Amino acid sequence: MEDRYARQQLFSGIGKEGQKHIREKSVLIIGAGALGGANAEMLVRAGVRKVTIVDRDYVDASNLHRQQLYTEQDAKDNIPKAIAAEQRLRAVNTDTEIKGIAMDAKADNVESLLEDVDLIVDGSDNYEIRFIINDLSQKHHIPWIMGACAGSNGMSYTFLPGETPCLQCVLPSMPDVGMSCETSGIIAPAVQITASIQTTEALKLLAGRWNDLRKKLLLFDVWQGQPLSINMFHAKKADCPSCGEQRDYPSLRYSFETKLEVLCGRDTVQIRPSHKKEYDFSSLEGVLEKHGKVRRNPYVLTCLLHDYRLAVFQDGRVLVHGTNEVEKAKTIYHQLLS
Amino acid sequence: MIKVLFFARLQEEIGKESMEVEKAGVSVSDLKKWLAATHHLPHMTQTMAAINENYANDDDIVNEGDTIAFIPPVSGG
Ligand SMILES: [Zn+2]
Repeated sequence: MEDRYARQQLFSGIGKEGQKHIREKSVLIIGAGALGGANAEMLVRAGVRKVTIVDRDYVDASNLHRQQLYTEQDAKDNIPKAIAAEQRLRAVNTDTEIKGIAMDAKADNVESLLEDVDLIVDGSDNYEIRFIINDLSQKHHIPWIMGACAGSNGMSYTFLPGETPCLQCVLPSMPDVGMSCETSGIIAPAVQITASIQTTEALKLLAGRWNDLRKKLLLFDVWQGQPLSINMFHAKKADCPSCGEQRDYPSLRYSFETKLEVLCGRDTVQIRPSHKKEYDFSSLEGVLEKHGKVRRNPYVLTCLLHDYRLAVFQDGRVLVHGTNEVEKAKTIYHQLLS
Repeated sequence: MIKVLFFARLQEEIGKESMEVEKAGVSVSDLKKWLAATHHLPHMTQTMAAINENYANDDDIVNEGDTIAFIPPVSGG
């Protein structure tokens, strides 16, 4: 398909030269939800050389109103988002090398993906991972484009190591109560605008048009009110632990303990074992069948218990749906899986 | 007089987009504390501030005629 990028390179901001650069670049997208999916589709259509997309969750019916890569069948089959995204994106553009990875993005496993990455796009839904992305961006000198949305609001900022303040400068303490899609809902247009702003910034970066970058934090409410652009230069802190002179990348201190995490607003606890496990789903099915109805695909096995639902991933992670209580989730986990 | 703008969830919590207050000369952090106490806003310490569309640090002073915007973190995606 000789002329598939013809209209894109006709645009003066990109041009033949810019398109050539785009075709050489590799982008890592963290999160394959609404923002990650929308960014991924636009970047793959734009002809980026390689797109890697990472996600820890599987497709659920409540995603379908805004997560454009997924179908009803994906939700019925509990397909991990990274796998479903890879399939869809491969069908969109065979020029692009596409890699979907179903895993819980953490400092160590994301760092191992950075070798040839030119840009990181934030499609995540929490600040814990954004602070990790921020430290990796500083350590490896890779720009990243933050995006976040909830309700009818969205925001985006492009972090350039060595030039702009970093996330740690902007938010000295990690927010524990961010406005999320679970607490405030979300409408698809808020996603699409946020993702479009991110992809636009990504195209400028990839095409080598750094002077055209926005350089301000943009905040909008698509339902009402005026957008706000904020000049961020005062945010830079000389003593920042992530981008300052004496830096120690506080978000990259690895933890190898078994980690229990309440997935905020979702009535779900995630359990990440200390060592990577590989379950044999057919024997696990035999064990769990005694407790409730089991369904499985090659990536996820679910078991419907009386008051809870378990989802076991190939990499050993377990989601306990139906509780926000860590102790309760732990009990169920130890009773059934260890 | 200074003008205070609220965004995202803060707007929902306080029930309006903006208000005017006689607080010229206070620091950003003191204004956050005052708003938190008088309007029952529990998360003001995690809120980003911008004075006249420039990012503001906690010890920056809000002057007469300034517009200060409070932006709570949006986390979803
Ligand atoms: Zn910094």
